[in-house]
Amino acid sequence: MHLVVCAKQIPDPETPPSAFKIDPAKNEVIPAPGIALVLSQFDGIAAEAALRIKEAAGDTKITVISMGAESAQQAIKQVLAMGADEGVLLQDPAFDKGDPHTTAKVLTAAIKKLGDVDAVFCGRQAADWDWGVAGILIAEGLGWPVSIIAKGVTLEDGKVRVQRVIEDGYETVDLPLPAVVTVSNEFGEPRYPKLQQIMQAARKTVTTWKAADLGLDPGEVGAAGARLKLERLYVPEKEGKAEIMQGDTPAEQAQQLVAKLQAAKIL
Amino acid sequence: MSVESPAEGRPRRLVGGWWTPAVGTSVLGLYGAFQLESSEGLVRHSFFNDVAPPGAVYLLLAALVGLLVYGFMRHASLWMIGQPHHQSMLRDVPQRMRNAMRLGLAQDKVRRDRYAGLMHWCIFSSIIVLTFVTAQVALNDDLQLNFLRGNYLLFFRFYGDLFGLIGLIGVGMALNRRYFQDYHRMRWDERLEDHLIIFGLGLILLTGFFTQTMRILVEWIPAHEDWARYAFVSYGFAKFVELFDFTEGQILSAHRFMWWGHVGLAFSWLGLIVFSRLDHMFFAPINAFFLRTDSPGRLARIENIEEREVFGVGQVQDFTWKQLFELDACVRCGRCTEVCPANIAGQPLSPMHLIMDLKAHLSAVGPSVQHAGHTGGDTRAVSPVAMVGDVIKDETLWACRTCFACVQECPVMIEHVPTIVDMRRFLVMDEARIPATAQQALENLETRGHPWRGTSLERTSWMEGLGEVPIFDGSQEYLYWVGCSGSLVERNLPVTRAVFRLLRESGSTFGVLGQEETCNGDPARRLGNEYLYQILAEQLVQTFKEKNVQRVITNCPHCFNTFKNEYPQFDGNFEVLHHTEFLSGALKDGSLQATHRVDASVTYHDSCYLGRANGVFDAPREILELVPGATLTEMRRSMSKGLCCGAGGGNMWQEEVGERRVNHVRTEEAVGTGAQQVISNCPFCIQMFEDGVPAIQPEEEGRIRPFDIAELLEQSVFGPGGGEAAQPVTSTAGAPD
Ligand code: SF4
Ligand code: SF4
Repeated sequence: MHLVVCAKQIPDPETPPSAFKIDPAKNEVIPAPGIALVLSQFDGIAAEAALRIKEAAGDTKITVISMGAESAQQAIKQVLAMGADEGVLLQDPAFDKGDPHTTAKVLTAAIKKLGDVDAVFCGRQAADWDWGVAGILIAEGLGWPVSIIAKGVTLEDGKVRVQRVIEDGYETVDLPLPAVVTVSNEFGEPRYPKLQQIMQAARKTVTTWKAADLGLDPGEVGAAGARLKLERLYVPEKEGKAEIMQGDTPAEQAQQLVAKLQAAKIL
Repeated sequence: MSVESPAEGRPRRLVGGWWTPAVGTSVLGLYGAFQLESSEGLVRHSFFNDVAPPGAVYLLLAALVGLLVYGFMRHASLWMIGQPHHQSMLRDVPQRMRNAMRLGLAQDKVRRDRYAGLMHWCIFSSIIVLTFVTAQVALNDDLQLNFLRGNYLLFFRFYGDLFGLIGLIGVGMALNRRYFQDYHRMRWDERLEDHLIIFGLGLILLTGFFTQTMRILVEWIPAHEDWARYAFVSYGFAKFVELFDFTEGQILSAHRFMWWGHVGLAFSWLGLIVFSRLDHMFFAPINAFFLRTDSPGRLARIENIEEREVFGVGQVQDFTWKQLFELDACVRCGRCTEVCPANIAGQPLSPMHLIMDLKAHLSAVGPSVQHAGHTGGDTRAVSPVAMVGDVIKDETLWACRTCFACVQECPVMIEHVPTIVDMRRFLVMDEARIPATAQQALENLETRGHPWRGTSLERTSWMEGLGEVPIFDGSQEYLYWVGCSGSLVERNLPVTRAVFRLLRESGSTFGVLGQEETCNGDPARRLGNEYLYQILAEQLVQTFKEKNVQRVITNCPHCFNTFKNEYPQFDGNFEVLHHTEFLSGALKDGSLQATHRVDASVTYHDSCYLGRANGVFDAPREILELVPGATLTEMRRSMSKGLCCGAGGGNMWQEEVGERRVNHVRTEEAVGTGAQQVISNCPFCIQMFEDGVPAIQPEEEGRIRPFDIAELLEQSVFGPGGGEAAQPVTSTAGAPD
């Protein structure tokens, strides 16, 4: 079997908001020394799901692909250290500033180029923009079935059995292979790599593919191909206001509170 | 300030206090012996009563020596399956000799338990002196040197009896503790040998006395009763036996019986050395010689880590030979377990049992490993059980606080901490088996350069409102190292600010790194991820060198220990001060003045890495002494006997398993002093107390309040309201979620 894990490197979502600066003119996050670049947490979980299938099925190759800057090598190495076999970095200035559609297009092209892929695992969403659509769009691009927000993934009789998180529990669906699955945090924690594996991963070379390698026209990817336009990027103002209810008795205060809440259309 | 209940003894001389009464008494005896008018004609008659053919004893001796050599070789061949030790035993020999004398012969550690220390001294000194007595008899009789005559013979009789009596007192104390006091430690791993050793020794001493009693009765009393009195114990027995009117023949038979009993028991007992913990009589002083000559706070560096196949200790042959030797030295005294915070809190760790389990495992698989090694087999495939996982459980290794309480107490100088951390290294680096919360801390270190997952603070948040905070650029004298806890954990910001204000007030020049600080790696190293530690340490040493850092002040004992003891392993040699050291110095040289009264009763908690690991006990107490109005009440466990707060060894980031939490135990002890404040010197301790107090004192009224010593001093230097500590502290954000 050949499984693909899509991994994205993102600015650390745990960065304290105060360290998070935005350039309003360019609509961009300003990279600051306090902001680390990390593997999107859901992608680590997707890798864990693929690894467990590999462990159960044996004789399985896992390729991790990532679209991003040179630094995304780090994210790829992290998944390699967990136990993936090969890594491909999709890097081209033409890919920059795209939207989920163009990202999915690049990833789809890469998966097609890999050829013999049986299943693709993505995180339920990238923890930076939180769109949560890349997996679905990849499935569309490939013409494969997709199941999203999985809390469990197993291989049963040549099918992927997915436990899909729904509002009040989960449902079990079987997908014929090849298929795309997006994995949720309910699946469990990604493993901690053994040092031996970290070192092996460090020695592995990551293949880089550019737009031309994927047969993509620079006009259909990145900013040029994006259908989504970012209007304004800003850090929301947080405002806190406290008001003490006046009144001589608790009952009076409560009445006042009710009135205020009703006026604010909360009640 | 007043100090109640001082906790530590004074430094002792080489051969400490308890020899004094014995030596004094002997001198009196010697004086008495030579006061005698005439002891002319007093000689020792060799081969009295013809008890044994000459040479019989030497056959026994030869058998004993053979047995000892065999036993030793068998042990030694097992130690040799270990790896080279990190410290060469040929270096620092004078210091090692001193250790062997002070810790091995003078038994400084044994005496930390006063009852056991006295008991052990009685037995030890008695055996040494009586061996000397026996050797003199052999020289005198067998080589016909005939020096046992005249007044010396009387003195010889006297001190022989004196130390026989001392030995019996020791045996009595041992029997009392084991059988009458039913002392808890005696039952933790009791074995047949324990009874044999103590009863055997008692019988040896008694038969020795009885042999002499019979001899006195026949040989001395009839001739010269005043001479007989020098053997004062045997003489007393003799007077008692006289009451019964035995015939001379009966007494001589009894003598013969007692003599053989004495000799037989003595040789059997010495033979027990090979089969029991009596071997400590050799291994303890040897292990004192082997004891590390650097700080206990330093963990060994794994050299060429990138080229290794196994990173930690997963199998018994991965230990160094010294670590294996230590297993054999253990006497099962239980002192380590008694002081172990994890054990006190009912958590699954007993350092004594850990050592004994490893020892049993070594005996079980060692020979096969050795055999596989010799025959070119796979030594790693030998053991049917996993040493780490089956023999020593994961949760046992994770429960350790690396607090050195065990190391401090062990009378045979076993170092449990490196042994435990080595196995953790295996768990983390080779097996990747880590408790989830500890894993998060490690991952956080890897990606964010600090262990505080989910903090909403930045490294510069504490600077707010402090005016200009100088950034270190090489021109200042000190680098003030704030540390991750000092900048990213809400509760510790006031401490950092207090230290900063005091430094500024003292007029010294210093700067901070601000945003450029990254974790120095200590949590990674203590949690067993040596690889990550080395990366972080190398980076930081590099940064320090680039910035021309010479002297560092830290407000965290863990950073302090790392810079001071461990960075030299990475060619980072800096002068490192903990803030308590700097502040006490500044108070003493007058650059800081603690002028305002702070009327508070306080108790002081020694952090493990400032205290036991680095011996800084006085500086903080000096500060407390100089704060007018503060009164110190020590806890029962303080200074080198202090109890860990529970956070050490990466336990700050772990869920505790067991009956209680260590910080609750320690908070209870602090509350027990009745003090209003518990003062510490470590951001982790403070957090542990902040967490423990509401659990121990659910009522908010009258709660004890935890403060860093800098917060207390800040109030005294800047006056009421001048310190931030005056404001109530609300949250401990940043604790593991
Ligand atoms: S270092 Fe402390 S916690 Fe660890 S075994 Fe020793 S006494 Fe127990
Ligand atoms: S390790 Fe040391 S303190 Fe612990 S039981 Fe053994 S000898 Fe005693």
